[in-house]
Amino acid sequence: MLIIFAKYLWHNMHLIDKNFREILSTQLVSVAGGIIAGSVLAVYTENLLLIPGMLILLPGFLEMRGNISGSMASRLSSGLFLGVIHPNRIHTKLIRGNLLASFALAVVVSLMLGLIAFFFNYLVIGVYSMKIIFIPVVAGMIANAIEIPLTFFVTLYLFRKGHDPNNIMGPFVTSTGDITSIVSLLAAMVIL
Amino acid sequence: MKDVRSKLLKLQKLKKHEYHHFIHKIHKRHNISKRTLFYVKEYGQHTHVSRTIIKESIKVLFFASIISSLGGLAIEQIKTVFVSIMPLVILLPALNDMIGDYGTIISSKFSTLLYENKVNRKWWKEGLIKRLFLQVVSVALITTVLSTMAAFVISSLSKNAVSLDVAYKVFLIAIIDVVALVSVLFLVAILAGTIIYRKKEDPSNFLIPITTSVADFGNMLILAMLVMAFF
Repeated sequence: MLIIFAKYLWHNMHLIDKNFREILSTQLVSVAGGIIAGSVLAVYTENLLLIPGMLILLPGFLEMRGNISGSMASRLSSGLFLGVIHPNRIHTKLIRGNLLASFALAVVVSLMLGLIAFFFNYLVIGVYSMKIIFIPVVAGMIANAIEIPLTFFVTLYLFRKGHDPNNIMGPFVTSTGDITSIVSLLAAMVIL
Repeated sequence: MKDVRSKLLKLQKLKKHEYHHFIHKIHKRHNISKRTLFYVKEYGQHTHVSRTIIKESIKVLFFASIISSLGGLAIEQIKTVFVSIMPLVILLPALNDMIGDYGTIISSKFSTLLYENKVNRKWWKEGLIKRLFLQVVSVALITTVLSTMAAFVISSLSKNAVSLDVAYKVFLIAIIDVVALVSVLFLVAILAGTIIYRKKEDPSNFLIPITTSVADFGNMLILAMLVMAFF
């Protein structure tokens, strides 16, 4: 199968243009982060995945980082390009609003994910465990305390260095977000 | 330049929900895109920035949470088998990211093609669409092969090596999952995008949430079905 695919690509070299290379390079970064996160997950399977309802929670929890920090990076990039946000002036209403909103959204969505997992757990699997509500809330707070400032400073740094943060922040947020999410879930387990 | 700046400052002072002829005027006279003007007005002086962001994002995030959790529920049903195959556990976050990203790429590229009037009614005959599909599928296959290989290596390094038979099944599961979902996402983006565009709405605002939700839910569902079928 692999040989057939390699032969196909060889005969269709015109497909490998700038667009193809850009998609491939960003995806490789994103996948690398996913594999690191998956390895941590595999090592701590017994502590994490065997908790009833954890697999209901996990996809949404991993996705949340990209949805919140990714959107924040995109908003900041637009503001930077428009000149509404200045990379050297960080104490502004727009930046404070963005950081505050992202953190508040993370807490609310984590709680929502916990509640959904709790209800599915109870209704479908028949397991009653309040812990599944608190784990994502604590983990969400830890992960976002790392991820939101990291996204913010990297976006400003990239812009200052003359790069377009829109091209880099997507894969950056998904790859670092996966790792911080899994580690913060483990930390939340230890705390609770 | 001074003239534009003063107009933009005036635009910022407008109330958020107030339409003003200014937007059209600045857009026409100074060739500033309506999106830029929208941003200037959206986060103007009368706006509570965090409240605006929360209000506009919360519904989509709630919807995405429910969809993702439904997908997770499918995997939870086959948990015992799933966690016993270490390469699949390692691959889970990577597959989740990958498919979500392809949803975003397909949506944004297709929206651009729509705006550039490069999509006819017979879209399946369109060279650009065929090319985009082949490019995304090719990248998806390359990244899937590489990530599956990495998962096997990590798994064997941690003394959880899988047999050739299991490795072959995991490899097939990953490939079928990714190719099936990229094809579904393509169809969803084209059908939904065309309908939205015909209704004179901006496809970019709808396609990304639609395709990422389909990707999230579909990935978990197809993965669960394939694991049940193969193991």
